[in-house]
Amino acid sequence: MIAILAILHESWLSLRARGIFKITMGLNVLVIVLFMSVSFSDTGVNVFFGLGHIEHEYVNLHTPWARVVYLSIFTTFIVNLWLAWIAAGLALLSTSSIVPDFLSQGAVELTLSRPVSRTTIFLCKYAGGLLFVIVQVSVFSLGAFIAAGWRIGVWDPALFLAVPLVTLFYSYLFCVNVLAGVITRSTLTALIITLAFWFVIFAVRWSERIVTEVTFQEEVHIERLEKKIAGADENSPKIEDWTLRLEQSKEMRLTLQAWQGPLETARVFLPETAATVDLLKRAVDQSQPATIEDIMSGRLFETDEDERRPHEIAQERREERDRNISGWWIVLKSLIFEAVILSLAVWIFRRRDY
Amino acid sequence: MTAEPAILVQDVHKTFRGGVQALRGVSMRVDRGEIFGLLGPNGAGKSTLVRILMCVIRATKVQGHVLGNPVGHIPTLRRVGYLPEHHRFPPYLTANQLLHYFGGLEGMPRSQRRPRIAELLERTGMRAWATKKVGSFSKGMQQRVGLAQALLHDPDLLLLDEPTDGVDPVGRREIRQLLLQLRDEGRTILVNSHILAELEPLCTQVAILVKGTLAREGRMAELTAGNQQWTLTCSGLPPAWLEEIAGLKCHNHADGVELTMAGDAAETMQQVLDRVRSEGRTVTSLRQSGETLEDLFMRSLDESAHADAAVPGAVTGKRQA
Repeated sequence: MIAILAILHESWLSLRARGIFKITMGLNVLVIVLFMSVSFSDTGVNVFFGLGHIEHEYVNLHTPWARVVYLSIFTTFIVNLWLAWIAAGLALLSTSSIVPDFLSQGAVELTLSRPVSRTTIFLCKYAGGLLFVIVQVSVFSLGAFIAAGWRIGVWDPALFLAVPLVTLFYSYLFCVNVLAGVITRSTLTALIITLAFWFVIFAVRWSERIVTEVTFQEEVHIERLEKKIAGADENSPKIEDWTLRLEQSKEMRLTLQAWQGPLETARVFLPETAATVDLLKRAVDQSQPATIEDIMSGRLFETDEDERRPHEIAQERREERDRNISGWWIVLKSLIFEAVILSLAVWIFRRRDY
Repeated sequence: MTAEPAILVQDVHKTFRGGVQALRGVSMRVDRGEIFGLLGPNGAGKSTLVRILMCVIRATKVQGHVLGNPVGHIPTLRRVGYLPEHHRFPPYLTANQLLHYFGGLEGMPRSQRRPRIAELLERTGMRAWATKKVGSFSKGMQQRVGLAQALLHDPDLLLLDEPTDGVDPVGRREIRQLLLQLRDEGRTILVNSHILAELEPLCTQVAILVKGTLAREGRMAELTAGNQQWTLTCSGLPPAWLEEIAGLKCHNHADGVELTMAGDAAETMQQVLDRVRSEGRTVTSLRQSGETLEDLFMRSLDESAHADAAVPGAVTGKRQA
C-alpha cells in the first residue's frame, strides 16, 4: 500500500509540474466563472454578471424553464463540449508522455528494481494519469455545484457525478494511449494513435446515429402514408402516388437497416465515450420538468403529432431509444473494453526487457 | 569466506531480440562483505548482468542466487540497493521528494523515511540541496542523490553501475571512502566501472567480462600475483655478465641501465645488486612491482582477441553485443 501511495503521489507531483495542467485548470476556472455569470431576472436572462441581458418570455425568474436552461448549460454544453472534448484533448496532450517517459532508458530501471510487481507499478502509473482528469473535473464540479446553488437555488449533488463519468470517459481513451505508449515508447505516436481511435469512435457513433434517425424518419413516412391510404377513398387519384412513395420508403428502410446492423455491432465492441458522459444528463434531467432539447426543438409547445416534421419525430425516437439503453450496459461494456486493452498493455509491459 | 555468497550465478545467457548475444554462459561468485569489481569494455555485458540481477531484464537462461534467493525473486530486491548507469530521475522532484518516492517504493513508512533521508543527504553531502529540484543538479550531484536512494532502505547488497560517473575528483574520493565504510559495515558491494584506477584500491574481488563471457574472475591479489617484477636502475653500460643470470633483462635508461627480473626473484636480485655494487656503479632505485588492474584488464582483452582469431566465428549471433 505504501508503494501504491508513493507512485500516486509521484504522479500527482508530475502532473502539477506540467504547464498544461495549470493552463487547463485556469481555463476550467474561467469556464466556471462564465457559468456563474449567468443569472435570471423577471424579464429574461442576464449574462456576464448583468453586463448583457436577453429578454425571454419563457426563460425567466418566474418559470421552471430557467432551472432547466441553467442546469442544461452545465450538462449539455459545458460537460459535453468543454470537459468531454477540449479539456479531454488537453488532458491527452499532457498525459500521453507519462508511459513513454516512464519507459525511457535510465528512468524505468529505478522503479522496476524495487520490490513491487510490474502489474502494480503499471496500474498505478495508469491511475496516476487519470488523476489529471479527476482533479480537474472535481474542481469544475464543485464550481458548478456552487454556481447552481447560488443562481437557481438548486443544490444538486448529482452534478458531482461528472467526476466519475468524465473520468470513465477519459479512461477509455487513456487505456489505448498507454497501450500505444508501451508498444511504441513514443509520446507523439501514442497521441496520434489515441486521437485516431477517438475519431473512429466518433465516426461510428455519428454514422450509427444518422442512419438510425433516417431509418426512424422513413418509419414516420411509412406510418403517415399507411394512415393516409387507409383513410382515403378507394378511387382517390392520390392513392397510386402514396402507394408508390410507401414502397420507396419501405425499400429505403430496408437499405438503411442493412447499414444499421454492422454499425450497431461496431458500437458493441467500442467503448461508449459520449454515452457515458450523457449519463450525467440523465441523472440531472430526472429532477427537471423538461430537457433543453425539448425547449430548443419546440416539442414542448407542439401537441399535434401529424403537424410535426418527420426528422424531429425521428430524432425524438432516437433519443428515446438511447435513453432506454441501460446505464450499466453502457459503462460495463466500455469497462470490459478497457480491461481487455489494459490487460494487453500490462502483459507487454511485464514481458519486456528494459 | 562465508559459506553462502551474496551472489552466485552460473551459466547466465541473455540473447536479445534480433539475436544479439549479450551474455554467453557467465558464472560469477561475489562473497559477502566484499567490494567486487565488474569490469569489461563497452558492450561486454556488464550492465546486462546487473540488470538481470535486479530483475529489470530476464535472462534467457540463469541459475543461481542473490542473497540466498533465486535470481528474479522480487521480494529479495528489498535487501538490494541499485544505482543504474545513465539514470534519469524525475526532474520535477526535489531531492527530498525523490528519496521519499523511492523509500515508498521500498515499502518504508514515512516515519522511518524522514530520519533516514536526512542522514543520507548529510552523508552524501547533499543536505543543503534537499529542497532543490533534481532537474537543476549537476551530474555529480545527481550521482550523490543516486547513491542516497540506493542506500535508503539499508540494503545488504549494493549494485553500483559507474557510481563516480560525472563526479569531480574530490567527490570521487568521498565516494570511495563511503564505499569502504559501507564494506566495513558488512555490506557487499558490486561496482561496475570503467575507471580501473579507482577500483584497484577498493576491490578485493574482480571479474572481467569480454564479449559476453567471463575472461577472468578471482581475488585481486591472486590474479595479479603471477606477474610480479623486480627492477633495478643503475649507472653505466649494460653489464657483461648479463647472460650469466637466467631471466635477467636489460634496457637502456636515461641515466644508465634498467635491469628487470620477472617473478618472485628477491634472492636473485640480491646477487644482481651485489655484482652491480662490486663494479662501483651507482644504484638509483630498486623496486618490486606487480601487475596493475589495468594490465590485467588489457591482458584479458588481448587473450580474448587471440582466442577469437584462433576460433573463427566464435562470437555467434547476428551482431556482436
